[in-house]
Formats: sequence, structure tokens, C-alpha cells
Amino acid sequence: MTERSRRTTVVLITLALLSGSASLLLAKSKGKKSEAQIDDSKRALHALNRLTFGPRPGDIEKVNAMGVDKWIDLQLSPEKINDSAVEARLEPFRTLKMDTRTMVQNFPPPKVIKAVADGRLRMPSDPKESAVYEAQIDAYKNRAERKAQGDGKPGAPGDDIADAATGEMNMSPEAKERSLQQQQSRNYAQAEADTLLKKSPQDRFSAIMKMTPEDRRATVQALRPEEREKLFEGLSPEQREQLQAMANPQGVISNELVQSKLLRAVYSERQLDEVMTDFWFNHFNVFAQKGADRFLTTSYERDAIRPHALGKFKDLLMATATHPAMLFYLDNFESVGPNSQAGLNGGRGNRGNNQARRHETLFQRLGITKRPNNRRPQRSDSNTMAKAGAAPRPKRGLNENYARELMELHTLGVDGGYTQKDIIEVAKVLTGWTIKQPQLGGDYEFNERLHEPGDKNVLGQRIKEDGEKEGKKVLEMLAKHPSTAKFISRKLAMRFVSDTPPEALVDRMAATYLKSDGDIKEVLRTLFKSPEFWSPDAYRAKVKTPLEFVVSAVRVTGTDVNNSQTLAQALQRLGMPLYGMQPPTGYSMKAEAWVNTAALLNRMNFALGLASGKLRGININKDAILKDAPPPTDADSEVAVVANALLAGDISQQTRATIRKQLDDPALNPRSIKDSERLRDSQLGIIAGLVLGSPEFQRR
Amino acid sequence: MAVTRRVFLKNSALAVVGTTAIPSFLTRAAFADVNGGGKKRMVVLFQRGAADGLNIVVPHGEPTYYQMRPTIAIPRASVIDLDGLFGLHPSMAAFKPLWDSKQLAIIHASGSPDNSRSHFDAQDYMESGTPGVKSTEDGWLNRALQTEVQHHESANKVSPFKAVALGTALPRTLAGSYPAVAISNINEFGVGGRAAGPAAGGLSNSFESMYAQSVDSVLHGTGQETFEAVKMLKSADPARYTPAAGANYPRGRFGDSLRQVAQLLKADLGVEVAFADIGGWDHHVNEGSTQGQIANLTREFSQAIAAFWTDIGDLGADTVLVTMSEFGRTARENGSRGTDHGHANVMFVLGGPVKGGKVYGRWPGLDSRHLYEGRDLEVTTDFRTVLGEGLSRHMGNRQLATVFPGFSPESKLLNFIR
Repeated sequence: MTERSRRTTVVLITLALLSGSASLLLAKSKGKKSEAQIDDSKRALHALNRLTFGPRPGDIEKVNAMGVDKWIDLQLSPEKINDSAVEARLEPFRTLKMDTRTMVQNFPPPKVIKAVADGRLRMPSDPKESAVYEAQIDAYKNRAERKAQGDGKPGAPGDDIADAATGEMNMSPEAKERSLQQQQSRNYAQAEADTLLKKSPQDRFSAIMKMTPEDRRATVQALRPEEREKLFEGLSPEQREQLQAMANPQGVISNELVQSKLLRAVYSERQLDEVMTDFWFNHFNVFAQKGADRFLTTSYERDAIRPHALGKFKDLLMATATHPAMLFYLDNFESVGPNSQAGLNGGRGNRGNNQARRHETLFQRLGITKRPNNRRPQRSDSNTMAKAGAAPRPKRGLNENYARELMELHTLGVDGGYTQKDIIEVAKVLTGWTIKQPQLGGDYEFNERLHEPGDKNVLGQRIKEDGEKEGKKVLEMLAKHPSTAKFISRKLAMRFVSDTPPEALVDRMAATYLKSDGDIKEVLRTLFKSPEFWSPDAYRAKVKTPLEFVVSAVRVTGTDVNNSQTLAQALQRLGMPLYGMQPPTGYSMKAEAWVNTAALLNRMNFALGLASGKLRGININKDAILKDAPPPTDADSEVAVVANALLAGDISQQTRATIRKQLDDPALNPRSIKDSERLRDSQLGIIAGLVLGSPEFQRR
Repeated sequence: MAVTRRVFLKNSALAVVGTTAIPSFLTRAAFADVNGGGKKRMVVLFQRGAADGLNIVVPHGEPTYYQMRPTIAIPRASVIDLDGLFGLHPSMAAFKPLWDSKQLAIIHASGSPDNSRSHFDAQDYMESGTPGVKSTEDGWLNRALQTEVQHHESANKVSPFKAVALGTALPRTLAGSYPAVAISNINEFGVGGRAAGPAAGGLSNSFESMYAQSVDSVLHGTGQETFEAVKMLKSADPARYTPAAGANYPRGRFGDSLRQVAQLLKADLGVEVAFADIGGWDHHVNEGSTQGQIANLTREFSQAIAAFWTDIGDLGADTVLVTMSEFGRTARENGSRGTDHGHANVMFVLGGPVKGGKVYGRWPGLDSRHLYEGRDLEVTTDFRTVLGEGLSRHMGNRQLATVFPGFSPESKLLNFIR
């Protein structure tokens, strides 16, 4: 810095101290960007864009009234915020509060159904529960029968009709006869279904419950999808859930999980808590469509992630490490120390392998998805065995998957200074961290028989042989490691500041992390108080992820969400199915991952669909958009009102002009619409759709 | 000549900016110019659910095969013999002419070296191209595009349809930093869809002009590509498509997918890699033999591919199609007249540059001494060797070490591509 510029800086700082418009002056001084601050009028909007899933109508005024800093403090203490409204919305979703075992019993996975059908497990006595089992066993037997007949595909229940349509061309005479019979029973079922739809909700429900599983299946299949919706009309949430469970019990669990996430994101007052729960779930990602994770993920988010979202990182780490969902997803539950009792016995003949066997039965009793010879490495061993003609039960071994991702993705980061040897050592440390009866929704347990004996050496430190405590020691070590402090701080800064956050900020956050024993709230406080967070460079610097885009659009339009499944489907199309990220990396937070041709088209189409009220169960609130605004007298002011409501008025001249021009398109103003109110509504839909699909709205 | 082309291209690319009225044939011509003329194509097909390779390309010359599969083996009399040892399932008659014309090669006993028998993990490893490594973020085909020789792209123009997957979501195989597009129905690729009615065109133009004029560098660029893509597709008029004579696609999603891939290829939109998949191969119970589940599915599979090949006609000369499945099935049938999760499988490679009419790879045999873990066909050809040969010999990729980290197929290539 030259003597002259330094003097200028001094003058500016003096001025800043003297003048109330300091930030403005600093913002204008080039080369001092990091000290420049976002315009006062945009502070509330910026804070809302970052700490929440987007502002709702009236939010900016509320935050300004409270004071931005005070509002941020409040968001950092979610326990002080009343969130009863969203809790009330979630009330009908019973699985959200269920423990996993109860969930498996109430909403049985296919393996359990099969076990009951084959007489290996008993049917529950509760009539509501047994109705679910009976329906599922009927469907299971029906599928098996269809397979045995060898016609059609072993597809999902309910695709009979489609099969009949496609398969007719090359049908045998027997199949034709069968198809004719099916057609007749379908006609009958259609008549049944029609009378059913005419009944009152209560009569309809009891009539359905009284049917035999076979009749019920036939009736439901006779209905078109939109008619099936009608079956549910007027029923209580419990009744709906009961019917859904009979059709697809596992679907109830995932639907409720997905819907609750969307409803919380849209309606929770504890927005930062939601944002952080989403952030940490993604950081410690599990894929909810993998085997037992179908019913383990609800508890994972509720019990392992959410309680620690603004707590201590080490607690979060421990909670995820010991949760069955993670143990299952990254295979640690089946990792066996090569020299453990189970490892030694399982690999060598019959002598004394009772214990290993007993353990295996836990996995296998219900024909678990993974076979015991499904282990990784140990290839040479298996080959030797196969050649020797031994029974096809190769030695089960160490599984490194969790140990690797624990260091690479959860704590140290890929360049965090660990080696392949450290991965193996950590994997040994964590042997025995397993699940009790994974297919029945069991909890974490430490199983000594799987645990690798002996001392281990992790990151240059000796870990003395100490059973389960070895793992706890290593997790604590990882949680307080400086590489972890930096890795976590950078990722948070990427979420809240920009895709490439300033290094100085990351360093200060990491320092807070180490000083506060990994207190997430304190690290965030450092972040929210930093000049980098409030820098004009940070304003709208982030491209929204599909989740952020969809939820922010719903929030800003004051939309009433009656059917959050519609939103879940939209996210699927946008490439971000909830709980649907297969690799352990979680979804990217960077713009490049989300800005591509198909995704952009889908965003525009979602925007138009939402604004014109074409999404099922999603009702945009036009009054909320027009609230407080003088009634638009002409197209110009209408565009201005909508832009004010949806983008806080910060819309580019080009976008505004384009929308204005669009309104003159005769195709949009059909002469058939004579009623001026309806015309205005239709125009409002167009304007809002274009604004929500505009480049400006893709950023936060 | 090349220079003139490039100048034309640059000019037309510039012309797209800021105007909505560029005639569609011009944008098409621009991309056709980059991507036509010697541009190679690769089509990747995934059979999800672990197809039973032993009942698809049947080792009918091995007596053990018949001993191991008393009820589901394909009788020797029904097999379409290929070379005395192997033969096709009778439902796959559509493949025979492709074999006879030496465009179709078979790689038997191929697959992933990882011994996972979980559909989930095995598909994941195969699509990422990194068996045993879970945290690989991108797919092998995306890395192949990332590392491609960039000579044509020096004109800084890439077709938005260069990498296409048929389906609602981008498959793991194509996921990654290289732009790839998932299309479930090419007739609905646009703004507003059918629902928007007459206003759709205007809305599309409005969005286009918003993005074209935006100062947002990231969104501006992608917005421009997006609307070029929409127009290119529209000019190809996919709704009025008629497949070539003799291309009889079977009904169903897989046939629809391949028909749409053919449409995109024939419209000359610059498709370089395409992906589609077909599910339903997990035949634990009542797999069937010459009739039944396996027969129905192999019929759909082979007819769709054969129809596709007929449909694309001359374009086949520069196209290589490869099929894969996460693992094979047990050599022995199980107690439910089906097969369980196994190890090695069979891959098909079809194309103009393919030295077909031959079964490649070392056949390990079904003798129990040679079975993997005492139960499954052994993998003697790593699937990456097959894909690697397609990428290097056909697509000209020179960075296989990046596409398949930790694996070097170069020394083991089977030479099935000319």
C-alpha cells in the first residue's frame, strides 16, 4: 500500500467514525471491498435469504422492526421460538414420533411380510395392524402367483392393467382366457368402486375396511389415479394413513418423512434450525432408499441430527456414528475384525464358530439384503477357498467404508492429513459397532465378538486396546482436530457466504471452533458477525439449490401447501429428491452442480405452474402478494407490486421490461375473459411465474 | 475449410445472443457442423437388477450348465448357436443378424471385481466406475467427457445434447461436472409444456430474453444454452417422428427410450453419449427358460436394440453401443426355479467399428473348481476394460487413468474394436 492510499484510508476511517453514513462511504472506496457493507436497506433481506429458506410476506418488516442483529440472535436460540403452528401441521404424521421398532411393526417392510406369510413371524394382534399385514400378504401372494404364471413383469402391484394392454399381442390361449376373466372381475370391481365413491367418508372408510384384501385390491386397481385420490377425501389423517399403509406400508414412512421436511422448511419459525438440520443431514448423508434405511432415516434425522444442529460438533459426530441408519448405510454394522472371535471362527471351518453363527443369524434370520459372503476385499482368501472346494462361506472381514468417509467427508476432509493406513486402523477401532436386529429396527450395540483385538495407531497416536471406548476416543480426537475445524468452517461458509469463501473468514471461524470445543452456534456467530458475511460481494452470491428454490418460491408467495408431495415430485424433477442422494458426499452446495439446461427449464416450469395455480394441492396466496399495495391500476404498477413482493423490489430493468412486454401478448389476454378481476388474476399468475423463473430469483 | 466452418460457427453463436428470432435451421446447422463429420458416438445401456448372463448367452457346450440348472436351462435344441460353445437365448433372435453381419461382439464372464452382491452397491460401483470406492462423486461417462480431447470444442461451442440420459433423473453414470441432460420425454422439453397452451411460446421468449440480457454470468450462459437446446429440439420436430422402415420398437419404456435416442441422433443435434436403462432382471423366483420372465425381458431388450440399430442406419458406422448389468447370477438355479445374486455376467458391444461375430474374454468354465466363491461365474474381464476400449479406441479418449482411477485397462484390451 502506498503512503498516499494509506492516508486516504485513515481519512476515510476518521470520517467513518464521525459520520453516520460510514458504510456508504466505505462501500464507495475501491480496494477496500472487504470492509464495505451491504446497504442498510438490504440487510434484513440478506439475513433472511441466508438464515432461512427465504422470506415470507411481511418478514422483512418484522426483522427490521426487531433489529437484524437481535433477530439473528433469536434464530440462534430456536428453543426460545414458539413453533406450535408447524407442530400442529405435523400432528397427523404418526411415524415422526415412533421409535423404529414400532415403525417396523406398524409399517412392515417386505422381509417382515414374507416372514409372516411363511409363518416365521407372528401376525400382530391389533386389528388395525393386522389389516395392514393381511393386505400386504395378499399382495405378496398375488405377485408370487403372477410370477408363477410367468406372464407380465414382476412389477409393482397395481400394474395389471398396463400389463394386459402391452402383453395382449403375444398371448397364449390360456392367457387370453385368463385375461377375459380378469376383464370381467375388473368390470365388477369398477361398479363396486363407483358405489364406494358415492358413500359418505365414514361409510366409505368402514366399507373399505370390511372388504377382503382381494376385493380391496381389485377395487383400488379399478380406479383411475385421480379417483383413488377421491377415496381419501374427507377421511381423518389416521384413516388416510391406515389405507395408505395397507397399500404400501413402507411408503407411509418415507412420505411422512419427506412431507414433514418440506412443511418444516416452509412453515417453521425456527428457520435457522431447519437450515442447519438440512445442512448436517446432507453433511452426514444417508440414502433413505437403501434397505433398512427406509425405516431408519426418520429416527436418524430426529434423534441424531436435529438435537445437535446448533450444538457441539462432537455430539453430532457421536450420534451419527452410533445411529443404525449410518451403520447400515456405510456398512460398518457388518465389519468384522479379522482377528476377532467372529472373524477367526467365521473363516475357519466349524470348530467353535457357534458365536459367529449366532451373530450371523441376527443378520440372516429375515434373509437380510446382504449376504455374509458379501464382504469386501479378502479376494485372494475367497479364491483359495473356492479352489479348495470348501463350502461357499468366505471369511468375513474388515469393512473400511465408514472409516474412510468418516475422515474424508465427516471430519478431516480429503486433504486433512490421514493415510490409507489410518483408514484401516480406524476401521479396526470401530469393529463391533453394529446393529441389533437391523431388519427389525433394532438399536446400536457394541458387539465384543466382532471387535478387533490389540492396540491401534491412528494419526500417529496409540489407541490402547479398550473395546468400545477406543472408538469414542478416536471420534473425539477427530472432532477436535484442526483439520476438522477448518473443513467444517469452510463448508459452513460455503453455505452462508459464497461458493468460494474468503480464507481469512474460514480461519477465524476455525479459531472459534477450536476455542469453543466445536460449538456450532459460536462458529455461526463468528460467521454472522463477520464483515465478509455482510459484504456486498456476498449479496445474492449463492445460486439456490433446488430445495432452496422450491421452498423459497412457496414461502415468498404465501402459498398454502395442502399436498407437499407435489413439491417432493418437483424436487425429483429438479434432480434433488429429498433423502435421495445415493453417494455419501451429500448434495453439492455449489452453483455449477445445479445450473444446467434441463434444471433451468424445470425451474421455469415449476415457477409458472406454482404461480398459475396448476400444482395439485398447492394454492398460491394472491392476497399475500398484493397485500398493502395500492390496487394496481395498470400493468406497469402491477409488475412493480409483484416484483416488490417477490424480490423485495430488487429486480433488474431488463427483467422488468421483459415482463411488461409479455403482458401485451394477445395470447395471454384471451377475449373470453371479460371479468376484469379474473383477467387481473391471470395476469398476476403470469407476472409471478416470470419473476419466480427469472435469473434474480435463482439467487439468494 | 475447417477455418471457414469455425468462423461460421462463431458468428452464428454470437447471433443467438439477444435475439429470439434466429431461424432454427441455423442453430441446428451450427451444431451439426461441430458434431457431425467424423464425430463418434457411444450409447450405454444398463440392465438393472442383475441380468442372468448364463441364460442370455448360453454356454450350451458345457454339460455342467445343464446339470446346474435342471429346470431353467435353455435346451440345446432351442439355443441360437453362435460358435459351438455359446448361443443366444431363443428370444434374442433379433440379435442374430447383427452377429452374422459381424457388428455384434460378446464379452462373457465380464463384470466388476468387487464382490458386493448388493444391487445398490454394485450398481453404484459400476456407474461411478470405481469398484469399492463409495465417495466417488461423478460417473465414469461424465469423467470420460471431462477428459475428452477438446479439438472440436476449441470453437467454444458444445451441443447441449452432447450427453443425454433418457429418464427423469440423471443416472449416476452421467453425473458430474460436465453438463449432461436428462430427458424423460423429448416432446415435453420446453417452457410451459402442453398445459400452458397458446401462451407457451410467449413465455418461453420472455424467459429467453430475461436470461439473455442478464448480467449474471453463470445464469446468462446456461440460459442461452437452454433456449438453444429447446429450439434445436423443436426444429427436429420430434412429435412427428417416424422410425425408419423395419425399425419395430417393442412397447414399453426401454423401447421408447431407444426410439428417442435414435430421434436425437438422427436429428443431428450433436449427441455424443447417450444412456438408457431397463429394469426387471432380478429373477429369484420362476425365472423361466424358453418361456417366462427371462424370455419376455430378453425379447424386449434385444428387439429394442435391434430396432434402434435399424433406425439409425448409416449412423451406426460411427456408433458403439455397450450393455452392462451390476453382477451376474448364481451358476446353479435355486429352490424357487430362479437364480440368486452372483458375480460375472455378459456384456454386448454393437457397432460399426466393432469386430463382431465373436465371443471375447477368457471363459473360466462352470466347473465348481473354477466358480467364484464356489458358486458364481468368475470375472475374467473387468468391465472397465471393455468400457475403456470403447472410450480409447472408438471415442479417442487418452486419459483412461482419470476415467477409471487406479485401473489401467490399456495393457489388457481385448481388441474388439477396429
